[in-house]
Formats: sequence, structure tokens, C-alpha cells
Amino acid sequence: MTYRWAYMDHWRVDTPRGPQTQYANRRLMDDFVKQIAAVGFEGLDMFDFQVYGLSGMFGSIGKYQEYLQDHGITKIVNLFRGIMYDPRVADAHVRATHDEIVESTRRMLGMWSDLQIENLIVMPASLYTSTAPVTDDKIAAAAECWTRVGEMSLTEFGVRTTGHHEFFCAIRTFEDIVRFYELTDPRYVSFFCDTAQHCIAGVDPVELYERLHDRVSGFHFKDTREQDTTGAYQHRPDAELMAPQTDRWFHEMGTEGGLVDFQRLVRAMDAHGYDGWVTVEHDKANIGGDYAESTALSMWYAKQVLGKVAS
Amino acid sequence: MSIRRSYALNQWKPNFDDFCRPDAHLRAFKTVVAAGFTGVELRGGTGRWDPLGRPSSIEATYGSLATFGKLLTDVGLTAVSSWAVDPGEPVDEELSHGRSVLERGQHAAIVEWARPFAAALAELGGSRLVVRALPAAWQVGAVDDAAIATAAECFDALGAMTAGHGVRVSLHADVLSAAADDEVLDRLLAATDPAVVGLTVDTGELTLAGLDPVAVVHRHAARLDHLQLKDTRYVDTAGERLRPHAEHAFLTAGGDREVERWFFEVGTRDGLVDAPAVLDAARGAGYDGWVVFESEQTPNPASSVMLNGWCAKHRLGL
Repeated sequence: MTYRWAYMDHWRVDTPRGPQTQYANRRLMDDFVKQIAAVGFEGLDMFDFQVYGLSGMFGSIGKYQEYLQDHGITKIVNLFRGIMYDPRVADAHVRATHDEIVESTRRMLGMWSDLQIENLIVMPASLYTSTAPVTDDKIAAAAECWTRVGEMSLTEFGVRTTGHHEFFCAIRTFEDIVRFYELTDPRYVSFFCDTAQHCIAGVDPVELYERLHDRVSGFHFKDTREQDTTGAYQHRPDAELMAPQTDRWFHEMGTEGGLVDFQRLVRAMDAHGYDGWVTVEHDKANIGGDYAESTALSMWYAKQVLGKVAS
Repeated sequence: MSIRRSYALNQWKPNFDDFCRPDAHLRAFKTVVAAGFTGVELRGGTGRWDPLGRPSSIEATYGSLATFGKLLTDVGLTAVSSWAVDPGEPVDEELSHGRSVLERGQHAAIVEWARPFAAALAELGGSRLVVRALPAAWQVGAVDDAAIATAAECFDALGAMTAGHGVRVSLHADVLSAAADDEVLDRLLAATDPAVVGLTVDTGELTLAGLDPVAVVHRHAARLDHLQLKDTRYVDTAGERLRPHAEHAFLTAGGDREVERWFFEVGTRDGLVDAPAVLDAARGAGYDGWVVFESEQTPNPASSVMLNGWCAKHRLGL
């Protein structure tokens, strides 16, 4: 196993001013970076829109990466594109909006062009509830959209476009996910496997990885204790924070009662020779928990358990 | 042997009813390992709500010391590096309200009280019984030569006993201790047997008390056998640590300045401890034991572990 571990940023801490992220000030940023570096992370993943705050705090996104390197973090690895889908403006299954999606993505990547970003992670379709019924044509439209975006991102910026399927995404079943990748150009669209999201959706992430391993460009390693048994993926207006089934879908790797079989996944990754970055994520850890401890526990599991499983 | 990194668990237990459950212990151990530490330091305690406070409590909670030791190994720890104890604290299990090293008649009981700690340390791979050097300054007043001699007799007897287990007694001067004074500390060390009694330098405690830990290391290089690293942004310039009930009024309540937190992670902003200089001095003296990091009074123990871990690796070369 030659994985390099990256941290997907959802971090926040309790402060005298209430919960704050590290983007609030340099002291919080210093503490954040030191903590993730201390437990062995070498890379950092973040949302695309953080470029604004970071440029203000450090002068430029390039200066921020230099600061990260001074503190033990090698690079910013992946960006998560937070598109607010709206069929009137930008929605992958609405062909009339594809130009806007391509252009807005081009503008966004231009702001990060000083860095060597590896993946642009996107949810490749809107919410299930905003898309249903999910038809073959809607999946095909989304595939066309992301193939165009992927060609642009790779040829103009050297960044791979990769799909990340939340449990409430319109493209969420095993069959629909596989179909989506069949319809996209493998040169331009990759698959980003989020272990917990698939488990919640009732999809075995290992089986999905086995099927799509030659398309995989990264992972979100996070766990869940809950499979969606209540149709939460259809909950309006939001499934992730507002569905009644649970107030916390996500947990760190190794959590008691976790449904993701990480050891089996790592064996599969080894069998297929995966040797890229693996991103640890544990969003919403502050709901009944704590980001710092959850981060340390994740990396304890990565090193002490998964490190011994892998070849 | 080379310098190894350990972490003191005291920061997880600010109150008697915190940090009781084994699942909480496990999370702490994993956090410590994830941040690069290979040992833990335990804090002596008593009663059913302090399951790591004494060997019998560990046995009651985990079944046996061996089971506990295997848990540590399975998590990735190599040892309980050390156990920090205070002979003056109550021991419910022994119906004791606490004993004083300044009373010769209590020395035998202190030695017997410490015996299980030494045996347990030996079984768990540890090597230091960190013993409070003297009671609180406000309680003992001026420490004359007779008091020093009495305390030294106790520590020598303790050291002789623990040496039988391959464990050294290491005297620890906390901010409230009468030993947190250059002149008293010098006399106390001079009166004890170097063969069985050493010195713990706790950077945060000494600095808060107004001592220079670098100078202490240089002055007592031959006696240094345990190192505890933590930082502070304060010095007790008003002598509040010497006032009655300083345990509460000063250390817990924050004193006249209402300081919210006396101790911080090594390398904290505005920290007064020059940790690189302390380590340089220790290394210069040939120190090759455990370096125990801690951050009592932290609002977030996991954060402090990681901040200390970062500093140990990136700033101290540990």
C-alpha cells in the first residue's frame, strides 16, 4: 500500500465566539493545519469557494499552499465543486444549462490554476427529489455535461473531473451509477468513491469499486452507522441534515457499528494496484462529537488497522 | 535507547467523574498513537471513578494488568512510561486521608502504598514513578534542613523499593509545591541518594512558579531522569501560589487575574517555555528517557495532543 492520505475539510471548533471554522482567523488556521499534519495527513481537500477567503487571508491561494508546506502538508489535492443546482441556471440533466456549467467551472478552475489540483469532484446530478423520475435520457444528459466539463478541465488545467454520488443524488443506485460511467468518456470523467454515501444508499462500495476500479481517481473514506431505510434520500428540502431517520449520517473510520468494510475495500484496492491519494472525510462530526478527536481516530484506524491489512 | 514521546492522560480528567469509561480511554489511547506518541503517563488516583488511578483499579476495570497491557499494545503503545503520584492525596482503598513525607512515622506506609505502582510500572514497561517532591508551600511554610532530611529519608526508602522493580523515583515540583523553589529544590536533591532518586523537570509548572527550567536542567543535569513538557503564558509574579488554598483559588479559579487556563501545548503563542532550549540542555546532559507532553486544563484534549504532536515532530525533532 502506497497511499497518501488527504484530509477533506469540514473542520470547525468551539470558540468563545461559538463554533468557527479555521477560515475565521490565522490562529484557528494554524491550529487546524498543525493538527492534521500531526496525525499524518500529507494532503488537503477543500471546497472550491474557499479560494476567496484564503486569498484574503494569505494574499493568494499559492501563498496558502506554501504556508501549508511550511507546516507539513504537501499540497491541496482535490477540490469539491459546490454547485447549487437549479434547472433554470445549471443542472446536469438540463442540456440547455450545460454551457453555463462548463463556463462557470472554467472560471473557478482559473482561480486555482497556480496549483496542481488533481481532481475536481462533483455531484454529477442534482438532488433526487429535484430530478425524479430519473430516466435514461437524464443520465445521458448528465454524462454529456460532465464529459464536456472533463475535457475542458483536463486539457486546459490538467485537472480530472470525477463524480461523487451522494446518497440523495439523482444518480445513486448501483445500476444508474454504472450506466452513468458507461455513457461518459473515460478519458475525461472518473469515479470518486465515497464509502459512506454508497452504504447509506444501499450500495456496497466494494462491489462498486470492483466494477469501476479502472475509472477511480480517489476515495472519501468515511463510515456510517445507518443505511437509508426510510426513503430519506427523497426528503425535502434536504436529506443530509433534515431527514428524520438520523441527525448524523457520517462517522469516522472505525466507528463502532460502522457499516463500511474498509478492510475488504483496501484488499480490493491492493488487488487492483491503487496507489494514489486516499481522502479521509467525516463531515458533521460536530453533531454529538468533535472534529479533533474524530480526525485522530480516523488516522489511528488508517495506520494501525488498514496499514496492517494492505500488502 | 533514544528519547521517546509519551503523553500524560491527566488532561482528560479535569474532574473526578470525567474519563471513567474504558471506551473513553480507548479513544484517548488511539488519539495519542495517531499523533505519534508511543507511551502514556498515568496519574495516581483513588476510588471507583478513577479506573486508571491505581493498579487495583485497572485490574477491577480491565480484569488484569496484563489485559490492560495487551490493550495498550494492540492500540500501538509500547508502555506506560510513568505514573505521577502524590503521597499527600487521600487513598480510599487504604482508608488514608493522605500522608506526608515530612512525617517520619508515615514513611513506611508511603513505601507500601507505592509498592503496587512500582510493580505495575515494571509490568507495563514503565520506568519512572514521578512523585510530588514536597506538599504545597502554603501548607508547609519554611522548609528547614530537618524537614529536608526527613523528606529525603522517605524518598530514599521509596527509591530503594522501586529500584527492586527496575523503576526510579523521580521528584516532581509542581507550581504549588514547596519544592518549586530553586534553593529548596537544590537542598532536597542534595539530601537524596542519586542512585535511586532523580528529578523530573516539568517546564510549565516550573515556569509558572518563576523558575527557569533550562537553568534547572543545567544545574541538575546529573539528576534529570524524567521530562514533562508543557507551556504557560504566565508567571506567578504576585506569589499567589503561596497563599492559603492555592489549589482552588489560584490553580483552579485562576487567581486574581482570573486566568482561564494556566497550561498550554508546547509552542503555544506567547508561551514562555523555551522547549528547544530545555531539550538541548537535556540532550547535552545525555538525557535519553521519556519526554512526556501534557496540557492540563485544555478545553479539548484531542486538539492538544495533535498540537503537541506537531510541535514534537516539526519543531523539536522528536
